[in-house]
Amino acid sequence: MKNIILILICSMITSGIFANTQIDDVFEDAVISFEEKDYSKSLDRFKSIENEGIISADLFYNIGNCYFRLNEVGRSILYFKKALKVRSNHEAARRNLKYALTFTKDKQETGSEDVIKSFWEKAFETLSINLLALISIILFSMIILLIVLMIIRYHNREKTVPAFITVVLTVFLLLFLILCFLKWKEYHNEDEAVLLSASAIGFSGPSEDFTRVFTIHEGMIFHIEREESGWCLIKLSNGLGGWIETDTFERIKL
Amino acid sequence: MKKLFFLVLLSITAQFLFAQEIKIDAYVDKSKIGIQDYLKLTIEISGENANDVKTPALPEIKNFKNLGSSSSSSSSYSIINGKMTSEVTKSYTYTLQPQKTGNFIIPPISITYKKQVITTDPIHLKVIAGSTEPAPPTSRKLGSNKTQNSSDLSENLFVITKVDKKNVFKEEPVTVNYILYTRYEVVNLSFGSEPNFKGFWKEDVFIPENINFSTEKYNGMIYNVMLMRTITLFPTTSGKLSIPPLELQVDIRTQSRSFFDFGSSKRYPIKSKPVTINVKEIPEENKPMNFSGAVGKFKISSSINKTELKVGDSFTYTLKISGSGNLKQFDIPTLPDIKHLRFLDPEISTKINKNKISGTKSIKYLVIAQEKGAFSIPSIDFTYFDTSEKRYVTKSSRSYELDIQEGDGIYIPSSTAQSTVTMEGSDIGFIIKKTDLKNNLIFLNSFVYWFIWFIIFLLIPISLVYSNEQRKLAGNIDYLRQKKANKILKKYLKQASQNVDESNLEFYTAAQIGLGSFLADKLKIARGSSTEQLFSEIEKRNFPDSIVQNIKELFEKCNQARFMPGGFSKENIINDHKLLRNIVTDILKLKI
Repeated sequence: MKNIILILICSMITSGIFANTQIDDVFEDAVISFEEKDYSKSLDRFKSIENEGIISADLFYNIGNCYFRLNEVGRSILYFKKALKVRSNHEAARRNLKYALTFTKDKQETGSEDVIKSFWEKAFETLSINLLALISIILFSMIILLIVLMIIRYHNREKTVPAFITVVLTVFLLLFLILCFLKWKEYHNEDEAVLLSASAIGFSGPSEDFTRVFTIHEGMIFHIEREESGWCLIKLSNGLGGWIETDTFERIKL
Repeated sequence: MKKLFFLVLLSITAQFLFAQEIKIDAYVDKSKIGIQDYLKLTIEISGENANDVKTPALPEIKNFKNLGSSSSSSSSYSIINGKMTSEVTKSYTYTLQPQKTGNFIIPPISITYKKQVITTDPIHLKVIAGSTEPAPPTSRKLGSNKTQNSSDLSENLFVITKVDKKNVFKEEPVTVNYILYTRYEVVNLSFGSEPNFKGFWKEDVFIPENINFSTEKYNGMIYNVMLMRTITLFPTTSGKLSIPPLELQVDIRTQSRSFFDFGSSKRYPIKSKPVTINVKEIPEENKPMNFSGAVGKFKISSSINKTELKVGDSFTYTLKISGSGNLKQFDIPTLPDIKHLRFLDPEISTKINKNKISGTKSIKYLVIAQEKGAFSIPSIDFTYFDTSEKRYVTKSSRSYELDIQEGDGIYIPSSTAQSTVTMEGSDIGFIIKKTDLKNNLIFLNSFVYWFIWFIIFLLIPISLVYSNEQRKLAGNIDYLRQKKANKILKKYLKQASQNVDESNLEFYTAAQIGLGSFLADKLKIARGSSTEQLFSEIEKRNFPDSIVQNIKELFEKCNQARFMPGGFSKENIINDHKLLRNIVTDILKLKI
């Protein structure tokens, strides 16, 4: 029984690892091009790796850097956001995103003022989804162990202490599971998007005949609420909502 | 002779009365009437049993309008030769209004009584223009100048439709006044059916609430004049449009015939003559692109509540369009795109004067300054069609220069506040040169992760089964004793070994009791059984001889040590301890 588990764990770890020397070579090439300030060539290389279906925070971070150097602030923001989506505790990507956001025409909120909220956000960013999954499984096994102990060893003794610990652990487990689920949802959420065209006008309805609500510029990050025949209802971080054309932005998705 | 004649006459009349039980008669109040007059048609049913007759159905009378009916009944009794006869007369009166002039016939009216159809004769009528009625007396106050006084009703009571202009452009307002002229004493006035203003957008300006006459000279005569209604019409289509007539019902006091008669009133329906106006399309040539659809004469002005602002401040920018014309209908002028100033949706209010033509439309914008710098709000053009000059006119509001200072700018983003100059010296981080280019595995999405959860969870049922088994075994007493035997042995062996170290003879006592109890438990016999009983039990179990021999030897030594202390050296004790250990290990190896 124990052997089977061991084998399973081992296979799980090894399955993620597959070395592709060819891709590594392309990556090195791209890094050299970047150092030689040939940013468009470097970008081409990095993009070719991305097209291989590689999802890596560092790769996205590098692509974002290339775009930034090529003065495409919108796309650089998109890729920094992608990097953060893969690994929310990618400090370099966070810093660069914050910096790139200062180049947009519209001011955007980067951090929240609220102490509790920012603490929560920080915790949420730092803990990666896999770490949360691991913590959850460890807590779960501890709970199960305690229950097993209570069944086998403590069946005719006072159970207050182990029961109490089990309850506490269960609360923690639930908390982590919720965090884990939220993180997972965020990871698979594709409703966030970045404006790539120089500017876009938000209308009060899905056509240009409606009233202008706002104008946003390249690099604006917003939420997509609804999509309808070439138009999307978006919501800005300051609460403004309006319809913009779908070909002006790209969703942050992996 | 005379008496006889009287009798004969009576019998004839009586016979006649009995034969003709029911009589019906129809008549009108006059056979020649004017089209402005009313006709009273009375149907009289008389007879002893007239009450039993149903109300006669009035046939449809062509060219007459039935305005209503009233009914009355009377009865009379007469006693002839001690015999009482009664007669009931029921009369139904209909008021009819002629619709046309000419000769008409009121068809016969029939009733059915006791399966007998009784009909009236048809009535011939002549309807002429005007009125046959003698006009009611004109109001004394106006001074009846006999020579000028006309007895014709239509000259003494009429409504005039007054239109301020007859040639208008589409959307150009037309004011219509309906004025009542009368020389009679008017008791009451009421409006007929509401005219249908087809092709117009109508705004009511004035509707009188009570009767209020003033005097005015018209065509050389003095009249009582009352403004009945004022409306403003905006033609919505072009061409010849007719303004519909106003229908009025005027109650006029009739002449009193005696001192006690206060006079009664008579109702006259009157109508104004329809008026046609000519509506022209607004000329298409030279029509400016930004034509708002406004027709009339207008002015545009703008105002601003402050010109010195900080970033994030808001101010109001108001456009005012005032003048006369179709204020409600036209589009508001569109604002040009002004960068860095955010114009919120305007608040539009239209104030229209009582005449419904002139007024002011104000368009209020809330504007938020988004950027630092000097900006200008350009002048706004407003194009309308001037009806008096018959051409398009464009008027402009004044422009404003704004000076927007740096502000806190918390509410509204300002990109100049984020200038790159302040960021001098900082740059984005460098790329990452070395990385593990593998796809991150999301544990939550892998099957293995959840399989581990499942396996861990499986521990609960497994442990439940296990503990159940354990409890079953615990229920077995022999099993319990076996388990206890080991414990006792351990306890005594521990004591014995301690004694060995101290080369104490107590070792033997401990060894004997311990081994004895251990064996007793193992062999499932009562504890404290004698050595003989133990051995007989051992023999039954076919223990190997060597073990039996060893046990016997140890027990003997124990007995010796108990009864003859002093004959045992330390070496002996150590040897015996070894022996004891061998026995125990041997017995534990055995399966009992």
